[in-house]
Amino acid sequence: MNNIVFENVCKSYGKNTIVKDLNMEIKEGERLILLGPSGCGKSTTLRMIAGLEKITSGSLHMGGRCVNEVECGDRGVSMVFQNYALFPHMTVRENIIYGLKANKVDKNEIETRLKDAIKMLELGGLEDRKPKELSGGQRQRVALARAVVKKSDYFLLDEPLSNLDAQLRLRARKNLVNIHEIYHQTLVYVTHDQIEAMTVGNRVAIMYQGNMEMVDTPSNVYNHPASVFCAKFIGSPSMNISEAAYDAGRLYFQGKEIALPDMWSRLIAECGTKELYMGLRPEHMILSAKKTEDSVEGVIKYVEDYGNSYGVYVEIGNEEFIAITSGNFPMQGEKVYVKIDFEKLHIFRRDTEKSIGYPQEIMNLRRTLPDAFAQ
Amino acid sequence: MKIKQKSDRQIGWHIFLIIIVYLMLIPIVFALSNSFKTTQDAYNTVFEIIPRNPTLENYIHVFQKLPFAKITLNTFLIAATVTIFKTLTSIFAAYSLVYFDYKGKAFLYFMMLSTMFIPFTVTMIPNYLLISQIGLRDNIWGVALPQLADVLGIFLLRQSMRGIPKSLIEVAKLDKIGHMKIMRDIILPLVRPSVISTGIIFFINSWNEYVWPVLILKTKENYTLSLALQMYISSEGGTDFTIAMAVSVMTMIIPLTLYIIFQRYIINTFAMSGIKG
Repeated sequence: MNNIVFENVCKSYGKNTIVKDLNMEIKEGERLILLGPSGCGKSTTLRMIAGLEKITSGSLHMGGRCVNEVECGDRGVSMVFQNYALFPHMTVRENIIYGLKANKVDKNEIETRLKDAIKMLELGGLEDRKPKELSGGQRQRVALARAVVKKSDYFLLDEPLSNLDAQLRLRARKNLVNIHEIYHQTLVYVTHDQIEAMTVGNRVAIMYQGNMEMVDTPSNVYNHPASVFCAKFIGSPSMNISEAAYDAGRLYFQGKEIALPDMWSRLIAECGTKELYMGLRPEHMILSAKKTEDSVEGVIKYVEDYGNSYGVYVEIGNEEFIAITSGNFPMQGEKVYVKIDFEKLHIFRRDTEKSIGYPQEIMNLRRTLPDAFAQ
Repeated sequence: MKIKQKSDRQIGWHIFLIIIVYLMLIPIVFALSNSFKTTQDAYNTVFEIIPRNPTLENYIHVFQKLPFAKITLNTFLIAATVTIFKTLTSIFAAYSLVYFDYKGKAFLYFMMLSTMFIPFTVTMIPNYLLISQIGLRDNIWGVALPQLADVLGIFLLRQSMRGIPKSLIEVAKLDKIGHMKIMRDIILPLVRPSVISTGIIFFINSWNEYVWPVLILKTKENYTLSLALQMYISSEGGTDFTIAMAVSVMTMIIPLTLYIIFQRYIINTFAMSGIKG
C-alpha cells in the first residue's frame, strides 16, 4: 500500500510556520496536485514527503510506516525539480543512469530501463549531448526520464513544467499523464498553475498560507469551493465575491435584494450567521436587457473581447462584477439586468470565509470520484 | 552615437591596460636581457634590451656553483606538498561549510576568515619554536608543515560551491548517494576550474615564499630558489647581479608555465567569485 498519510504535520523555520497542522491522505496510485500561490507551503510539503525537509511536529506515514526519521534515500522516492537539476557535466545518458549505476543496479537492467525511458520520452539521438546542448523541453524530458528509470513507488514533481512555453507545456502534461498511466506510482505534483492542476490531477489539494484549504476532484474544487480563497483561486477570471446579508428569505447585497429559493434559505438558517459572502462565477452571470423577478440591475462599465466570448464588467451598487458571455448584451454605459442562477450560487460565512455548504438538491448533482479513489 | 561613445571608452581602457602591462613587463624583460649579458656589458648598457655580446656564462655559473637541481627540487617538493594539502583541506572544509548543517557553522566560518587578518609576523615565532622542537629545522618539511591549510582556498571554493544549485545534491541524496561520492562525481567536476586556480595560487605563493624558508633552512643543500636568489643580491654579492638575473629567470619558468597552461581557469575563478554570493 503505497499511500502517504499526513497526521498533524507542522513545519516551521524558527518562528515562521510554513505548514500548519496538515492532515491528508494521498492514495496509492493517484495523482494528487498541490496547488496554491507562491509561499503557501506546497513545495515544503512535497519536500517533506521526499525527506529533504525534516518535519517539525506530527507524523508522516508512507506505505504504512512512519518515515519521520527515514533518510530521503531510503524512502523510495523519485523527484523532478523545477530547474530539472541535471548534472551539467554529464551527458543525457549519464544523467539518466547515474543513480542506478551508483546503486549498482545490474548492467543489463540499466540498459533496458534506459532504452525504455529514451523511447517513451522521445530522447533518441540525444543520448550523448550535454544538458546545455538541449532545449528546455528536452531537458525537462531528461529530468523525467531520470526519475522514471528509478521505478520508485512515489513520484514527486516540483513545478516541472513552469519553465516551458505554453505549447510545450501542453505536450509535456500529456506525456506525464501517459507515464503515470503506465507505472501507476503515487504521484504528487506541485504547481501554481490551475489549468495544469485541473488537467493532471485526480484530486487537487489547495493550500493557502500553510493551511490545507480543500482536497477534492477538479470538478468539485471548481463547482463547490470550500472557501473564499479556493473560489477565487480557481477559475479565470476569478469568481465574483461580494459581501451579502441574509434576512427572512432574502439576500441583500450592494443595495439590492433578491428572494432566495427555499433550499438556500434553509441552509443559511442552519449555519447560524447572517453575515455572508456571495459568490458567482463570471460564466454563471446571465445578462439580459429585460428586468425579471430574480435579477438585479447594474451598469456595463467596460467590455473585453476574447474572440469567442466577451468579458463584461458590470457595476452593481459599488462593486464591479465580471460576466463572461457569448450572447447579446446592452452597450457600454447602459443598464443591464443580471439573473442569478441559484444552482450555481456560492455562499460563504464572512467570519471564517468558509463555504456554508450546498443544498442537498445541488449536491445530488455533484460528480462522484472515480471508483479507484472513492472515499 | 552610443556605439561610438562605447568604443571611445574602450579605446581609453585599452590604452590604460597597455600601459599597465608594459609596467609589469619591464622587470621581466630587464631580468631576461641582463641574464644574457656579461657583467661588463650589464653595467655599461643596463637598459639595452638586446645584449651586445650574448653569453650563457651566468647560467653556467649557477649550475656550477650551486646545487641548483637540488634547490629547484626542494622548492618544487615544498610547493607541491603545500598545494596538495591546502587544496584537499580547502575542498573538504568548503564542502562541509556549504552542504552540511550544524550548529555554529557561521561562527566557525567567521573564525576561519578572521585568521586571514592575523599577520605572519605574529605566528612566525611560535611556528619557529614548534618546528625547532619537533626537529624539523633546516628541513624542507619544516617549511611545508605549518602551511597545510589555507583560508583563502576555503573561501574561494565555498563561493564556487555555493554557485551550484542545491537541487543537484538533492537529486543525488534521493538516489541514496553518499557525500564522498557526491563530492567526487558531482561537486568536483563542477568546481574544477576553481580548484585548479586556487591550487595554482597556492603553488605560486609557496614557490615565491621567502621569509619563512629563511628562518628554517640553513644549509645550501636545503635552500629554496628564493634563498638562492638572495645570495646574489646581498650586499657582498652586489657585483653578481647578472647571475641573480639568471637565477630569477630560472625561478620564473615553472610558475609561468603553470600560469600559461591554466590561465583561463584563474581568470574565471576571480571573475566569478565576486558575483556569486
